[in-house]
Amino acid sequence: MRSSLMLRAVRYLWARGALLRPPSRPVSSGSPQLEELFASGGAMRSFLERLAGPGVQGPELAMAAQRLREKEQELRETERLLEDENEDLRKLAEKEILSCQKELTKLKQKIILLLIPSEETDENDLILELTSGVGGQEAMLFTAEMFDMYQRYATYKKWHFEILEYFPSEIGGLRHASASIGGPEAYRHMKFEGGVHRVQRVPKTEKQGRMHTSTMTVAVLPQPTEINLVINRKDLRIETKRASGAGGQHVNTTDSAVRIVHLPTGVATECQQERSQIKNKEIAMKKLRAKLYSMQLEEETNKRYNARKIQIGTKGRSEKIRTYHFPQNRVTDHRIRKSLYDIQSFMLGECLLDELVQSLKEYADYESITEVISEKC
Amino acid sequence: MWLWRVKPWGLAPRGLKWKGGLLSPPVLLPLRPVSGCRAPSVTATALVNYWAQLFEERGVPEARESSEYIVAHVLGAKTFQSLLASQRSTSITDLQREQIGELCTQRLQRMPVQYIIGEWDFQGLTLKMAPPVFIPRPETEELVNLVLHEEFQRCQERRGRGTLDHQPHCSPVILDVCCGSGAIALSLLSRLTQSRVVAVDKGEEAVQLTRENAQRLHLENRIQIVHHDITSGVNREQLLPWGPVDFVVSNPPYIFHCDMEQLAPEILSYEDTESLDGGKDGMRVIREILSQAPMLLKDSGSIFLEVDPRHPELVGNWLQSRPDLALSISATHVDFCGKPRFLHIHKSRSCQ
Repeated sequence: MRSSLMLRAVRYLWARGALLRPPSRPVSSGSPQLEELFASGGAMRSFLERLAGPGVQGPELAMAAQRLREKEQELRETERLLEDENEDLRKLAEKEILSCQKELTKLKQKIILLLIPSEETDENDLILELTSGVGGQEAMLFTAEMFDMYQRYATYKKWHFEILEYFPSEIGGLRHASASIGGPEAYRHMKFEGGVHRVQRVPKTEKQGRMHTSTMTVAVLPQPTEINLVINRKDLRIETKRASGAGGQHVNTTDSAVRIVHLPTGVATECQQERSQIKNKEIAMKKLRAKLYSMQLEEETNKRYNARKIQIGTKGRSEKIRTYHFPQNRVTDHRIRKSLYDIQSFMLGECLLDELVQSLKEYADYESITEVISEKC
Repeated sequence: MWLWRVKPWGLAPRGLKWKGGLLSPPVLLPLRPVSGCRAPSVTATALVNYWAQLFEERGVPEARESSEYIVAHVLGAKTFQSLLASQRSTSITDLQREQIGELCTQRLQRMPVQYIIGEWDFQGLTLKMAPPVFIPRPETEELVNLVLHEEFQRCQERRGRGTLDHQPHCSPVILDVCCGSGAIALSLLSRLTQSRVVAVDKGEEAVQLTRENAQRLHLENRIQIVHHDITSGVNREQLLPWGPVDFVVSNPPYIFHCDMEQLAPEILSYEDTESLDGGKDGMRVIREILSQAPMLLKDSGSIFLEVDPRHPELVGNWLQSRPDLALSISATHVDFCGKPRFLHIHKSRSCQ
């Protein structure tokens, strides 16, 4: 009950946009949002007070909370000096108060960072999958534009981007594609892109000027490390076009496509992107590992974060998360009710997309903080 | 309507060199226009479909794949699957159409795609391919992995024993017998950045091609390329510029002579049969390599061979009849199709 109240409170602030700015950092120094989160009588306060009790928390967090209390006490005492008769003393107090406030902001930020649970997968590479949805050719055209957007976003973030498969439609659209993305915090940024993206516009293919609504789906699968996921080789069946016949020097085939089936789950992946068969096998294996891993994570995530609204990884793949409204030149993310204007710039995959991603990240951070606080109350 | 019937390859194949019954020129297929009735423009997809169908009709194997590889190559991509949507649907220039037409005509004459486009990928490398030098097969990529795996294990063992001080790097010396285009030698060099390779082949073209590929990949400093026929006897001086080697790796000709005539025209008419024909039991060159290996290998060295699935047993029997060589099969590995394809042979220490 209590936790749902708190969640609602934070969401209310978000809806008002109070917690949204600035986008570039998780918590701005001395911003209203930080102060609101730490307002006296708020959930954060009661949480920190509990920390003062017999230490059950991590020592770092308890220490930060302790320092916060001390600093605030110090601030209150210094503030009394502002009424002193001695002018020099008053000036000294003013200086002291400023530095005290700075310190407090830093401490609050530190507490927040300590409270945001980092996910096991945040640092991992990922596989991005795009699939066109309802809307026929128009949906495929939009999927191709989205693919280009993410490719440019990867360039913008200086990530490594490798196309794993690409199935276009006849008129330049895209039915399905996947790519491997790697780089600092790639998954941490990209995980909020998973879900259904909706486009509203007059398609190029439309002759009567009517507006259409089409969709496409994005899935973001973290790439497991060797430790995250172990696959038994005996559970795999590897299929190639060379399977029949003598093989080796007896045949010269150019079809290097590889399909891998994971027998216990029936999950299968394939690759024909490369001319080298062993490279195709490596890529198919990469995709298979990502699929199996995200299945495993989904199970865990469902257990752990049932309350959380924002999508993480593949959770809620079927939920509509964003609308691209061309006549209004607007991109709206439904999860945080944030709208950005200038679709063309947004689809360049540069600062506007990044701004939205940062907002989503912050929102998720605040949600998880509220969750942590309520769990521990 | 006439607009739709434009020949997509841009020009009739020049100097029609059809063999046998292939005298009629390609039939004109109506191509669906991309949109409306504007000037004839042909997309990559339409061209692929056109040539795939023609190959199919003429009984060219891997019709669609061949057509896709050739079109992708002319458009500057490695595979058709790696062309983006926009590239596939924009119209092809006249020059590109002409090039595609010329290359596809070669395919109609059953030339292997790898020779037509002049290159192919092996492991992570793109290698130049030129007739009649043997075109590397995908199984051999696994042979390279076996050698790499063995070397990494050795390295770890050494590290575990703390004897790495004497050998600061894992820097094996490797001998690649029958190197062909240099696929095995160069992929090993690119992965084992401290190692050195001696690559030997009896074919002048193979030696040239290996040299060219080494230069293209900037690996020429760590490779010694030797023009020598291994069946003509041992040549320690030429083969061991860096002393005895850690590994002998080879994909020797291993096809049983009686099987040769069943090979596809792509192989029989374009690839050097000397690099395929292993004699009566496919063991002619294998026996030579095994006879000379003890003189070329370090005491701890071993041999990796790609062979025919019938060979593991034959080689085992033969080695038992030659105890003087002091070699024994330590493992037989299967390829991705589950066929026993690779032999790992050790120098047995007892007979040193």
